Amino acid sequence: MPEEDQARRKATRTARKIPAMVNAMVREEIEAKAEGKPVAYAFIHCAYDEILRALDIVPHWVENFAGICAAKRDAQRFLERAEEERFSRSLCTYALCGLGFDAWREELGEMPPASPWGGQVRPDVMLGSGQMLCDPRTKWFQAEQHYMPDVPVYDLDLPWPPYEHDYDHREVEGYYAKHIVAQLRGLVGFLEEKTHRKMDWDRLSQVVDLVDRTWTLIWETYELRRTVPTPMDTGDAMNTMVPMAFMMGTQQAYDFYQDLKAELTERIANHEGVVAEEKYRLLWGGGLPSWFALNDFNYFNSKGAVFPVETTYRMVEPICNLDFDFSRISDPLEHIAWRWLKYWTFWYDRARRRPGSHPDVERLIQYTEDYRIDGIVMHEAFSCRTWHVGLLWQLRQFKKIYKEIPSLILHSDIVDIGSYDELGTRAAINAFIESLEAARR
Amino acid sequence: MAVERARVGLAAVEDVYQDYGRRARELKAAGKKIVGYLCALVPIEIITAAGMAPFRIKGDCGVPITRADASMETIVCGAVRSCFDLSLKRYGFLDGIVVPHACDSITRTYPLWQHELGLPYSHFLNLPHSTEDSSLVFFKAVLNTFKDSLARYAGRDISENALKEAVRLYNQNRTTVAELYELRKADPPLVSGTEVTKTLIAAMSLPVEESTRMIESVIAEVRLRPNPDADRLPRIMVFGAEVGDVTFIELVESTGAHVVADDLCPGARENLRLTDVATDPMDGLAQRYLRGIDCPRTYAEPKGTYPEYLERRFGDIARSVRDFRVDGVIVYLYRYCDPFGFEVPALKSYLDSLGVPVLSVENEYSMPAIGWLKNRVQAFLEMLEQGSA
Repeated sequence: MPEEDQARRKATRTARKIPAMVNAMVREEIEAKAEGKPVAYAFIHCAYDEILRALDIVPHWVENFAGICAAKRDAQRFLERAEEERFSRSLCTYALCGLGFDAWREELGEMPPASPWGGQVRPDVMLGSGQMLCDPRTKWFQAEQHYMPDVPVYDLDLPWPPYEHDYDHREVEGYYAKHIVAQLRGLVGFLEEKTHRKMDWDRLSQVVDLVDRTWTLIWETYELRRTVPTPMDTGDAMNTMVPMAFMMGTQQAYDFYQDLKAELTERIANHEGVVAEEKYRLLWGGGLPSWFALNDFNYFNSKGAVFPVETTYRMVEPICNLDFDFSRISDPLEHIAWRWLKYWTFWYDRARRRPGSHPDVERLIQYTEDYRIDGIVMHEAFSCRTWHVGLLWQLRQFKKIYKEIPSLILHSDIVDIGSYDELGTRAAINAFIESLEAARR
Repeated sequence: MAVERARVGLAAVEDVYQDYGRRARELKAAGKKIVGYLCALVPIEIITAAGMAPFRIKGDCGVPITRADASMETIVCGAVRSCFDLSLKRYGFLDGIVVPHACDSITRTYPLWQHELGLPYSHFLNLPHSTEDSSLVFFKAVLNTFKDSLARYAGRDISENALKEAVRLYNQNRTTVAELYELRKADPPLVSGTEVTKTLIAAMSLPVEESTRMIESVIAEVRLRPNPDADRLPRIMVFGAEVGDVTFIELVESTGAHVVADDLCPGARENLRLTDVATDPMDGLAQRYLRGIDCPRTYAEPKGTYPEYLERRFGDIARSVRDFRVDGVIVYLYRYCDPFGFEVPALKSYLDSLGVPVLSVENEYSMPAIGWLKNRVQAFLEMLEQGSA
């Protein structure tokens, strides 16, 4: 058995439940569609989870489906189909995978042959999102309308104040909150009209409260990973992100993190780490993973390297640490808006205190200190500018204003396996491990 | 001996185009503050009203990128990388930078613009994506934040009268550009696509009044030309993102065509819409920059069926095809450009429905890569000629 596969036995029991959970989620979407329940194409981390749950609309997470295709190494035929449709192969490959699949499904009038996990259901509505990142969140569903002209799109504006040197974000966040609330209210109206459902505002408030509690629970759970040896690493976190990203606002998500927290607590009590001998503690400092090559995390583990923390998919902050008194708000939409704003500006104050810093850099510094990090690894996926542009600069700035540290930037993609060079990646990891060892000496 | 600089007409354009930024250097030497900005989405009227000179940061696919890659990933679109590279190498006269929330390549690199250029002033202009009423209210607040920030840096108030005057000057400038475009309607056109684009690029580096005078002098010069002999060359429209040079337009024309219309920046997309002067100037600017520039990064919500949405999104192109008697459209896009890239199938199908032939090409934003497109352009033009024979 290859050494990286032996290391896999150290994955948490809770994370091992994830494949079955995702499979069930996709199956439920297909069943819901068959039963006539409304289905919405949705993106993760768009502040509309609670609204969908409260209206009992079934979200279909398009990034998840593309990730499944990639993990099953069955995305290429959909990427090629998108290319035939004249989409550039340099565009987001999550989107290309989804568009290629949908163009094919619409042409056939049924799921393409041997669709991964049953395929991607035809939606009743599509919910785009205009943030300060991710052009595909506004463009993907517009492009989908070329194949599904009868499916309406709502594009939800979700801005946050930029990090500036000459004014404090608190000076402007009031008009940001007002705009987001108006946008969320517009979304509720749109969904009520298109799905003929009526918002139950009390239920929405309950779901908002559940999300608050889930955020805090996730934070508490992940903070346990500070322990040496760390009880869980990023290889697992790329699985345990599933309830955070795709099930937020459900009791199932909350229960999952309760189980994970209990398991990590138990592991810590037993001094049980991810690897037998923890030599190097690494920060996954940015970039989505190559879904077809998650085994690379195990390869790191086989060298005694673990990732106690990552910036990717750590999409929560503890509610009590947010700079806002939520108890003074009764409108659930306003609550969602302020939580959104305070999440995105969470690192601003710390960055201001360190000359030359920036919120993204400050987060790397803080995690490096909190998790006793020896080196930083990032991944630059060629097709995604959202999460992969700026990493190079963040790393440079980190070293300039804080400290020199061994670092590695991997190059590949999130979905397109054609971009992946396994031998080259492993060679780069080997060299990086040597640099960690050298730095220690 | 100093070379005498041409002051009027196309010779002046050539002069400014070849040494892009020279006028800004002169102004800087004379004590003026120079504020660089990216993209067509920054209301330069506010910079002008603050008593500063706006300077459009542009790339150039003929200049190899040598310094940007040290801190900017190569998955950033080439146009933005080139802008950053030239800012590091050539635009050392800048006092400040304004970066709009345009696309990921621009937005996600704001920290680099903020830190690496070492400028005393930087500002991110948070343009919303949607164009609904609440977005307009929000954007007006964003513009006021920008105005206040710039006023602090300038050390002076930006008065309503100054804003109104700046709006008037830019409206006059855009009206002059529209006059220039009228000269393209003749068959053959009185002015080439290369000349028009070169004029608009050069104009981006000048204070607005100088820009207007230069464009007026180009119009006057062109009107004095004898009418060109009739030819049967195809009349082409070029659609695409931001161009910082005329390389591609020249390639199309040198292959045997007239580029008579465009949907480019700089070009028709950003130059032909005026600011409403009947309203408060900040209201007028918010309207123009959010709803008046048909950039794919902004989402004009459908108010009816999908075909109606397409008409709203691409209707300007259809009108240009009709008004400028366009025989074929070339969609000229950059690799790694998500906002434009996602629209290609819809745009192609829209143009197909109008019976307009389309060629879609993608470029890496480099001179050799553009050269490789020549064969495809040539084949397209031959197809058009055969179709019209």
